Amino acid sequence: MTPSAGTSPHDLDELAAEYVLGTLDREERTVVAARRLSEPNLDAAILAWETRLSPLADTVQHAEPPAALKSLILARVQQSTAAPVETTSRSLESGIVVSLTRRVAMWRTAALGASAIAASLAGVVAYRPLFAPPSSGNSYVAVLQKNAQSPAFLVTVDVEKRTFIVRTVAAAAQSGKSYELWLISEKLSGPKSLGVVGDAAFTGRATLTGYSPADIEAATYAVTLETQGGSPSGTPSGPVIYAGRLVQTRP
Amino acid sequence: MVRTPDEISELLSRVAHRDVGAFEALYSATSAKLYGIILRILRRRDLADEIMQEVYVKIWDRAADFDASRASPITWLSTIARNRALDELRKRQPVSIEDTPEALDVASSDPHPLAALEQSQDVQRLMGCLDKLEPRRREIVMLAYLQGASREELSRKFGHPVATIKTWLHRSLAQLKECLSR
Repeated sequence: MTPSAGTSPHDLDELAAEYVLGTLDREERTVVAARRLSEPNLDAAILAWETRLSPLADTVQHAEPPAALKSLILARVQQSTAAPVETTSRSLESGIVVSLTRRVAMWRTAALGASAIAASLAGVVAYRPLFAPPSSGNSYVAVLQKNAQSPAFLVTVDVEKRTFIVRTVAAAAQSGKSYELWLISEKLSGPKSLGVVGDAAFTGRATLTGYSPADIEAATYAVTLETQGGSPSGTPSGPVIYAGRLVQTRP
Repeated sequence: MVRTPDEISELLSRVAHRDVGAFEALYSATSAKLYGIILRILRRRDLADEIMQEVYVKIWDRAADFDASRASPITWLSTIARNRALDELRKRQPVSIEDTPEALDVASSDPHPLAALEQSQDVQRLMGCLDKLEPRRREIVMLAYLQGASREELSRKFGHPVATIKTWLHRSLAQLKECLSR
């Protein structure tokens, strides 16, 4: 069973059960978390399993958190109230072409071996500090994959400039179909299209302009297979086949 | 202070309207429970402290999404805590349960005394259904749910291939579902 298979009601329920139980691996969890936002049946199955198993959580021994945590949390919460997330779009115009070109060049060098990147990313992920400093100008990358062995797309995002580049690594072109990239965030209502992934090895776009840096950074990036030219309805019509989240490319 | 689920729901709806006082009350009422859940999965206090902050910031951000018709407030809160702790656990280098001997204790099969006293009907019902599983399979379900054991860890601990563990998990979950639906 792969998380991208499993569309029959039985498979879906099994997937939901294992997701809630917690036994899926990291990639599988990411894919399920992305799929549930566009698949009401899967979401309902997950909720039902959460309700079924949550009494077990009631048996866990309570533990008093350190007293200092409360003030840390309150400070973060009040800070977020004082400084609402910036939502205005920023003009990109100049700079973007230069920036994209430079980054494409960077990725030509960097993306020589997808599996090597995936392997090194595992290291990045493991050692990334929990609270990375705000990412001024830092670029991020998401490996969109079904499992650790098959990275299909690499998405590099410049959070500050709100641009991204998709590198097609291993996803084979499907005749009469298009791969479409989506930004999925709990804070937004439903998946947001970032456009169709082009046939060339690299597709660069500035379709992140409408999203705040915080949302861009926290979102899940997912790819669905759609009719040529992309989903006509603006929402995914096919299931999520690849998904991933951003990690920083340097500290 | 012990709060009823209705009181927790009420606090959540006030938090959704950015009521810091309600958020503090919610924290007081639920932090020991959520910290217990997170600590059990991550087993390291430094990590649990970081994740605990993220969890409560997320609760603050998402309180408006809570829908009492879809889930109980306790389930909603503990799901946020569990999911965040599990994501963190899976993100890190795999930690073998052999490396942390205390993780081998399935203390969970003996709920702590307070929980036993307060045991709700739901807990009793689920425990009753878990008791009907073969002991080894019950332990696997408990280790997975409470401590975030991966299929690979369970495979090493029980000396069976991952595929076998997967089959056991699926059968156990199906059996639980059937038992709970009665």
